[in-house]
Amino acid sequence: MFEQVRQLGAASMDAIREMGRMSLFLMEIFVSMLVPPYRWTRFLQQVHFIGIRSLFVVALTAVFAGMVLGLQGYYTLSRFGSEALLGPAVALSIIRELGPVLSGLMVTGRAGSALTAELGIMRIREQIDALEVMGIAPMPFLVVPRIEAGLLVLPLLTLLFDVIGIWGGYLVAVRLLGMSGGTFLGGIESAVEMHDIVTGLIKSVSFGLIVTWICTYKGYYTRRGAEGVSHATTSAVVLSSVLILVCDYFITSIML
Amino acid sequence: MLSPLPLGELLVANGCVTARQLDLALQRQRASGTSSVVSAHLVGRTLVEMGYIDQSALHECLYRQFATERENYLVDSVVQPVIQFERVVKVLDGRRVLDAVDLTIPANRVTAIIGMSGGGKSVLLKHMVGLMKPDQGTVRVGEQPLAGLFGRELSRVRGRFSLLFQGGALFDSLNVYDNVAFPLREKTKCSETEIRARVMRCLEEVNLVGMERKYPDELSGGMMKRAALARALVTDPEILLLDEPTAGLDPIIENAIHYLICDTFLRTRYTMVIISHAVPEIFKWCHHVIVLHRGKVLFSGPSREVNASSDPVIRQFIRGDLDGPIQVI
Repeated sequence: MFEQVRQLGAASMDAIREMGRMSLFLMEIFVSMLVPPYRWTRFLQQVHFIGIRSLFVVALTAVFAGMVLGLQGYYTLSRFGSEALLGPAVALSIIRELGPVLSGLMVTGRAGSALTAELGIMRIREQIDALEVMGIAPMPFLVVPRIEAGLLVLPLLTLLFDVIGIWGGYLVAVRLLGMSGGTFLGGIESAVEMHDIVTGLIKSVSFGLIVTWICTYKGYYTRRGAEGVSHATTSAVVLSSVLILVCDYFITSIML
Repeated sequence: MLSPLPLGELLVANGCVTARQLDLALQRQRASGTSSVVSAHLVGRTLVEMGYIDQSALHECLYRQFATERENYLVDSVVQPVIQFERVVKVLDGRRVLDAVDLTIPANRVTAIIGMSGGGKSVLLKHMVGLMKPDQGTVRVGEQPLAGLFGRELSRVRGRFSLLFQGGALFDSLNVYDNVAFPLREKTKCSETEIRARVMRCLEEVNLVGMERKYPDELSGGMMKRAALARALVTDPEILLLDEPTAGLDPIIENAIHYLICDTFLRTRYTMVIISHAVPEIFKWCHHVIVLHRGKVLFSGPSREVNASSDPVIRQFIRGDLDGPIQVI
């Protein structure tokens, strides 16, 4: 019994220590963001890597998410004779929830894991140490451009997701199920407010920070060779995904 | 203090080539558009190409010069310490990796640090550049204690160093040229033309011309080490740290790297610290030897004296005996 309590205590202390290290890492990122030089080339490279190269997967996810919402929404709403509300239902679901959340999860899977693996390999091959010995601070050089790119790119990807997702819902509702296009789009126009779009964008900025923060942290402090990189990548993806969903709940509850 | 030796003058002074032959070689270099700085570095290769000296005689001449200096070490010089460890303790995972280490690295000399694997050699090297901080004790570079240095001050001290990592630590996403140019692009305001001249000079020195566009994963172990050495040399550091520069290489490449280090030292007079397992071979290539065992310094002195040590651990390590105070199996 005593041993179990001791183990529980040790695990709790480890978790608290890890959270402290992550918070310090985030603070160091914010401080480094303010200090020149600003590395525009590296920032644009990361915008390309995290944003442009995620376009296809985000677009694909968006179109099918919109189509499924269209089908399920029609099926449910038709039971209550409220098919006319399908447009607003699809649009609000996507703009307020699915757009930011699914974009965040897709970027975590496609780019976040790669960020962790890249930094992890740099760490175990002593490339980060090499930067330090050259007098180049690794934080502004390696981490800050990735964080800034995440903050910019996630909202843009989310907006793209919103447009394509609504278009997917429109395809199913109007082309497949024979609903009037005017009813679908008119409902959206009257139901969606700027507040909904801002809520989605606030979420996407938060998710952009979460994904890049967690993934760079896990990669930056990778230890113990190839197995360490594998472990860091897995835990970065899992933790980012969970934090996205947890954070989504809290932002929703605050912004409702 | 020893001054850098132009290779051409050294060869003439040792009677390996005549002054006339050296002139002809330098003229040929000038005719081919090689800058005067590069000429001084590469005249040996031109002399070999022109048939005035063969490669082995060139190496022999370099080695003779180094051996003379090594034998006179402590006799002909007042050695200034450039790095000092004072009662340095480092504990990693509950083990005292450095146990009250006191040592001095002499300026403008080649120092070899030897010892068993896991004996704390790489940890020692990382303390010298501030990649690790001691739990107790002080590390000084010149007169400056490293503890408490941050940001630009630490960066300034690190600017005096170059470190050749054991695995090379070349950036995977950059080719050889860009790897070597990297510290110049990031830390200096040199123009691309100047960077190109310095990079090509360093690649010539390590005999990697023609490999500029190769990526690290396309290089052999020896090429990787030479490319990393070129990157370490390109910033003209005061202190060059080499972490096992010959580990995992065949004897011929190992010998070539030792000659390269000797050549670089004679030309530049950088302070060099080499971690090596190439015992006793490394004693030929250094002035000063430090033996580290279980976190303690067992020996620190001229390389010619280490063979005469009566310490049973040092004797066993040098001979590679299985019997003795170090129990491996």
